[in-house]
Formats: sequence, structure tokens, C-alpha cells
Amino acid sequence: MTTARVAQLDSLFAALADPTRRAIIERLLATGELSVGDVAAPFAISGPAITRHLQVLERAGLIERRIERQWRFVRVRADALVPVESWVSRQRRHWTEALDRLEALAAAQTPRRKKS
Amino acid sequence: MSDGELNETTLRLERLIPSPPEILFALWTEPAQLLRWWAPDGYEASVELLETRPGGRWRTTLRKSDGSMLATSGVYRVVEPPRHLVFTWAWEDQSGARGHETEVVVSFEPTPGGTRLVLVQRRFESKQARDNHTIGWSASFDRLADIAG
Repeated sequence: MTTARVAQLDSLFAALADPTRRAIIERLLATGELSVGDVAAPFAISGPAITRHLQVLERAGLIERRIERQWRFVRVRADALVPVESWVSRQRRHWTEALDRLEALAAAQTPRRKKS
Repeated sequence: MSDGELNETTLRLERLIPSPPEILFALWTEPAQLLRWWAPDGYEASVELLETRPGGRWRTTLRKSDGSMLATSGVYRVVEPPRHLVFTWAWEDQSGARGHETEVVVSFEPTPGGTRLVLVQRRFESKQARDNHTIGWSASFDRLADIAG
């Protein structure tokens, strides 16, 4: 993997590992687009804390912002999850092939059962 | 497919293998044995570290014929021969920086015909992340996947 891709996945996983940020993503998925103020409304945390969470999500490529007059809106990016999905499918393929090889070797090392 | 915490955030593979757990466990934990199956086609594996005890480190490198290398490494958390193996796992990039760390759990359950091998890889390996695992997470992943198309 390239350094850039590793770094991208890292920030993506780190962003999603936090429950508040997951809740923000869930809300955005349910509603489509929200103003920054509406994003903060259900959470009992400060405005600056919400802003920090949004920055993390944006840097990870999960959300994007739109500014219209004095309003700032955020929404989930359409291709947000593609890197995560490709990581999972790559990892699944890796283990599937590895277990195939393991199984073949184990068979060669296992004494055949004698028929009694 | 999904029982309990198993959901989109977890990778799970299960095999029924006609060999006893002892043979399979040795294939995972003895360097000479591991080398024989660890590398994908076109790669050659080497084992730098395989300290198969709780807290012990492991590191393997896969080399392609063109000289490129791919290392994986981690720390053993549980080593219970011949039934249970838990270790952390991360790919390293070309510069040696470790990527996202996950946790791999391999269990070897004896069956009448051999072993049920179950491999689970959790994507969010930190204890905090596990403790905070929310029910809505799986559903949100489904929705994300829908959007991502």
C-alpha cells in the first residue's frame, strides 16, 4: 500500500471509531444535509467540540461543507465509504487465500483415518 | 450472518477442516510452519518475529520477485494452545509506517471430523472503540454503503 492510502484509511477509521462522530454521520445520513447548528443541536457538547468533530470528519473525506450566504451546511460525501469497503474486500481475499493454503498443508500433515 | 456484535465492521471466516486443532495451531505458531502457507502466490514470506506468548510481538515480510516488500506486524494478546489465538494486525507501508491496527481472533474448535476454524478480524481494535460499539453502527454502515453505491 502507498503511504498516502495508508494515511487515508487511518484517518477514516480513526474518524469512525468515535461514537459522537458516528452519531453525526448517522444523523446526516438520515437527513441528507444539515446546517452546522442543526448538527450540534442533539448533542450535549460545546459548539467548538462539534466544530472539531466536523473537521475530523471532513479531513477524513467523510463529509463536505457548503456555504450559502451566512449559513454553513454539511452532508455526507457520496464516495465516503469506498476506501473502507475496498480495505475489507482486500482483507477478506487475503485471508480466504491464506486459509486455502493452510488447509492444504494441514491435510498433508494429517494421518489418514484407518478404516476399522 | 450477523449474530450479536458481528456486523459490517467485522470480517468473519469459518472453515471446517479435516485436521485436528493441534496441527492447525502449529501451522499458525511455528515459524517454519507459518512460512509454508503465509505468502500469497508470487510472494516469498519471511518471519522476523514470532513470539507466541501474550504480549509477544510478531512481524512477517512478503517479498515479490520485483523486490517490493509488504510487512505485517502486531502483538499477541492471547495464546492458548491449541484452541485460541488473538493478535493485533497492521499492514506497514513501504516506509515502515504501520497502518490502521485491527485485532484478529482465531479459534480452533474440535469437531468429530476435525476442526472448526473461525477467524474474526475487527476493524476497530481499541478497547474504547469496542466498548462504545453502538447498535446503530451497523445500520449506518449499511446506509453509507447504499450511498457509496
